[in-house]
Amino acid sequence: MTDAREAIHRDLVLMLLADARLPVAGHTQSATLEPALRAGLGAGDVPGYVTTRLRTVTRVEAATAVVALHHLAAGLDVGPVEAAWAARTPSPAMRATSRSQARAFLRLAGRLWPETAPVLAVSAYRAPCRAVALAAAAASLDLEPAALARLVGYDDVQTACSAALKLLPLDPADVTGWVVGALPTVDRLAGEVAHLTRPEEIPACGAPQIEAWAETHAHTTRRLFSA
Amino acid sequence: MPDHTHTHPHPQSHSALSGPARALRLGVCGPVGTGKSSLIALLCRELASELELGVVTNDIYTDEDARFLRAAGVLDPARIRAVETGACPHTAIRDDITANLMAAEELEADYAGADVPGLDLVMIESGGDNLTATFSPALVDVQIFVLDVAGGGDVARKGGPGIERADLLVVNKTDLAIHVGVDAGLMVTEAAAARDGRPVLGLTRTEQATVDQLTAWVRAQLARHRTGDLVPQDPGPMAAHSHDHAHA
Ligand SMILES: Nc1nc2c(ncn2[C@@H]2O[C@H](COP(=O)(O)OP(=O)(O)O)[C@@H](O)[C@H]2O)c(=O)[nH]1
Ligand SMILES: [Mg+2]
Repeated sequence: MTDAREAIHRDLVLMLLADARLPVAGHTQSATLEPALRAGLGAGDVPGYVTTRLRTVTRVEAATAVVALHHLAAGLDVGPVEAAWAARTPSPAMRATSRSQARAFLRLAGRLWPETAPVLAVSAYRAPCRAVALAAAAASLDLEPAALARLVGYDDVQTACSAALKLLPLDPADVTGWVVGALPTVDRLAGEVAHLTRPEEIPACGAPQIEAWAETHAHTTRRLFSA
Repeated sequence: MPDHTHTHPHPQSHSALSGPARALRLGVCGPVGTGKSSLIALLCRELASELELGVVTNDIYTDEDARFLRAAGVLDPARIRAVETGACPHTAIRDDITANLMAAEELEADYAGADVPGLDLVMIESGGDNLTATFSPALVDVQIFVLDVAGGGDVARKGGPGIERADLLVVNKTDLAIHVGVDAGLMVTEAAAARDGRPVLGLTRTEQATVDQLTAWVRAQLARHRTGDLVPQDPGPMAAHSHDHAHA
């Protein structure tokens, strides 16, 4: 695995990174769905919840990833990208979750692609966010910005929907239908953020209710998912 | 905002620690209710005066185990960390050990300053799962599988990777044997037969001699870890062989 770019088709890279079997503690995450359900959302609200995330917090994450990818590919410092993400992610719990996920991801990336400049650059930061960590792998593996944005959107949809299966009495085929139903929105999101290159272009479109649920969840003692 | 990022050389360098340089990681698994948390509390009580301890729990639905251990007052609550497994206790100790590794490393790093003694032993309690769940050797150096007599005398005979090949099999709550119509001695003998000579310990917190046997075993593992002689063994996910005697 010395040359990460050698002979790996980008489709396969994307499949690898999107696979829930990737050992990065994805099974501990619910995309804040667990506290949302506890606060009163029902099964029928999950598709709307997923779409709302794609328009808000996940849009911030996807845009951050794309801008970080641009910076890493150009050999620029990702510090300002990270700062722009933090400024647009007001919930300390959500920042902590993202950084913990980044750490999980980077420990794997450091094993798989240890010598690539983007992975080294991002690993040198004390606590990068998940979007920047994903961008490090994308930069190392030559993934395109739109593909990275689709990855972020898709992963978020799958995280919420698979958590829904654990938390609610649902038919898995129905839930997969919700995932399929969200794909056009994922694609649109990717199209809208893929061209971004500057930190100040990252949209500031949080979701105060989701942020409040994330905060509540961080302080509960009865929870299935870490976040 | 307190959480700016700084460039910092190799933030995860402590994770590179392996072998005797870091704490011995001891996994404790087995079905729900067999006494995993109690066994860890027992070890804390027995060993806390001589060793620096830490605990990681994998609760299924709550931080009940972590709270149980904190409430037991046998260890500084700051040394007990709970990991959520998203209803996947098996995954968290076997095919995606990331969350547990990070918790163990954080615990070790928190007690690795120049002014504090480093941890000697980190115990990881799995969320009680079924008989097939065992720890990945990439997560723990050594593991105990816990059964209890109340689960029935034939559980040990039924086998499974943990029962057959965990480094130590504990048959717990032998004090209850008379109440549940189980011959504890026979259960231990049959378990030993299923284990090709690997150790089995009949344990009850009511009999100090059995507790002493447990702590002696743990001390011996720590000694092997420190001399670099402890190579993590994988009990594996599969039963190695079927037994030739008939049972339900
Ligand atoms: N009689 C008896 N009960 C025990 C013993 N060890 C544990 N228990 C009890 O078994 C129950 C389950 O123990 P716990 O440690 O929570 O099990 P875990 O689910 O495997 O962590 C608790 O009520 C304990 O008090 C023992 O040696 N003898
Ligand atoms: Mg327990």
